[in-house]
Amino acid sequence: MSTPTLPPGLAIQKADERIMTLNVGPQHPGSGHMRIIVQIDGDYIVACDPDPGYVHRGEEKMAEYRNYVLNIPHLERPVIHDSCNILYPYVLGVEELLGLEVSERAKYVRVIASELNRCVYTMYWLAIYGIFLGHSTMFMWPAGDRELLIDLLEKMTGARVTHSYFIPGGIRNDLPANFEDVCLRQVNYFEKRIKEYADIFYDNPILISRTEKTGILTRENAIRLGTTGSVLRASGIDYDVRKKEPYDVYDELDFQTNVLKSGDSYARSKIPWLDMMESCRIIRDALQKMPKSGSVRVKLKPNPKGAIGSVYKRVESGRGALGCYIVSDKKAEPYRVKLSVPSFRNLIALPHLLIGEKLGNMPSVYWSLNYWPVEADR
Amino acid sequence: MGTATGIIKALNSGIKHLAIKRFTLRYPEQKLKFVGDGYQFDPSTGVGIAGLKGRHMLFHDHCTGCQLCSIACEGVAEAIGMVKVPEEWKQNKKSIMPQIDYGKCVFCGLCVDACPFYALYMTNDYELSSFSKEGLIYTPAQLQVKPDVSQNSEIQISDRGATHG
Repeated sequence: MSTPTLPPGLAIQKADERIMTLNVGPQHPGSGHMRIIVQIDGDYIVACDPDPGYVHRGEEKMAEYRNYVLNIPHLERPVIHDSCNILYPYVLGVEELLGLEVSERAKYVRVIASELNRCVYTMYWLAIYGIFLGHSTMFMWPAGDRELLIDLLEKMTGARVTHSYFIPGGIRNDLPANFEDVCLRQVNYFEKRIKEYADIFYDNPILISRTEKTGILTRENAIRLGTTGSVLRASGIDYDVRKKEPYDVYDELDFQTNVLKSGDSYARSKIPWLDMMESCRIIRDALQKMPKSGSVRVKLKPNPKGAIGSVYKRVESGRGALGCYIVSDKKAEPYRVKLSVPSFRNLIALPHLLIGEKLGNMPSVYWSLNYWPVEADR
Repeated sequence: MGTATGIIKALNSGIKHLAIKRFTLRYPEQKLKFVGDGYQFDPSTGVGIAGLKGRHMLFHDHCTGCQLCSIACEGVAEAIGMVKVPEEWKQNKKSIMPQIDYGKCVFCGLCVDACPFYALYMTNDYELSSFSKEGLIYTPAQLQVKPDVSQNSEIQISDRGATHG
């Protein structure tokens, strides 16, 4: 009987006297639903091979069998905590293909929803980052304060996590009465709360000693590897899709991007926290500049058909630039939907960052890449 | 900043939190209050009305058995099936109405958007758990019942922190 040929990841590796192979995941709580194959020499990592694909769902193929509206509930599943932002490029692209004009009010409401969602995602990410470092207070606080914004999104969209709120032609429903006041009050309190994280987490010497100068991604490598979002901004490159290619009403709003130069785990973990404060500024500004009334949704025909052509749109999600490429062949269903996700692009940097690190630093370096396993697998 | 001052600052921040109120919803004694009576849709303007996307409510006197909700759900969750009802309605010649399987429903609300006759809305009822799979299938007669919900907790913010009042 001949031995079956196994895929490279599954093959039993030849034992070495010094080097040991360690599989972290795919069902390990410290990796999310993915596997990191690390080779260690004592306590030091000598090679690392991230192995995504454990939670592949075939979202892109599913999108070819449903019409432009019915694609919405399943396309937000890859990142349920950031569901408005993952739908955003798809909705912008479909609007261009179908030739829909979105009202000014709907654009502002979309910006508010996507900024609230960015904060909700970042708080969840921060809670897990805290628990990865063994800092259980930093798990409890963000998980609790996230509730303030989830409550707002629930009032807006009717669902706590998977909102299905954006639709080609605007948004599903208008804001409830008195929403502006509630939103302003809770966002102001939220901003006050996240500023308190500095004392206990970001200025904490224990955290700094664990994350500073670990997993350094240089400016050149960050560009060469094609990283995006908070990873890119932590390496000293000022790149934000909201500034560089403003979509909807971002060009009318007042905000700035945060850039840190050091490129280590500490900088990468701090950038999303600084971005949340900018998000609070954007929400306050948008609430002020938003038209107080007006239509929010274009009435769609049943089974709308797109013009022949293709479109690529991208937005800044909680993790980085998120693109969506849609090809239409004049049918009710898209011919092809391709998501270009930031998680996958940031994961490429992981083998470069981990070599030479201690194994104990692996969780903090890995999670500082702002990675979401399901999004990378799609 | 020195290590000692940093640690003292972190400890101090924790001690200050002893005076802050607990931000915990004591479910099921307390239940969150939602805006409105659930997600609804106005087909004349084509815009929804904000509200929680919970269990559906079916108005038998409006439903025509057109199956548009079922067709919308085919691409999403396949949770809606059309079943025969014993009563006879003059607008519903075939006497068929939607039956919803909450084991499959994802609460996206696209069936409500699909209904052109003001017959299907969503309500604030989200407590749908059951001991059997059959218990999750709601017949048209069960969907007709208006849910009895007592939800009155809202987030209140004061100088001593946020609470569910």
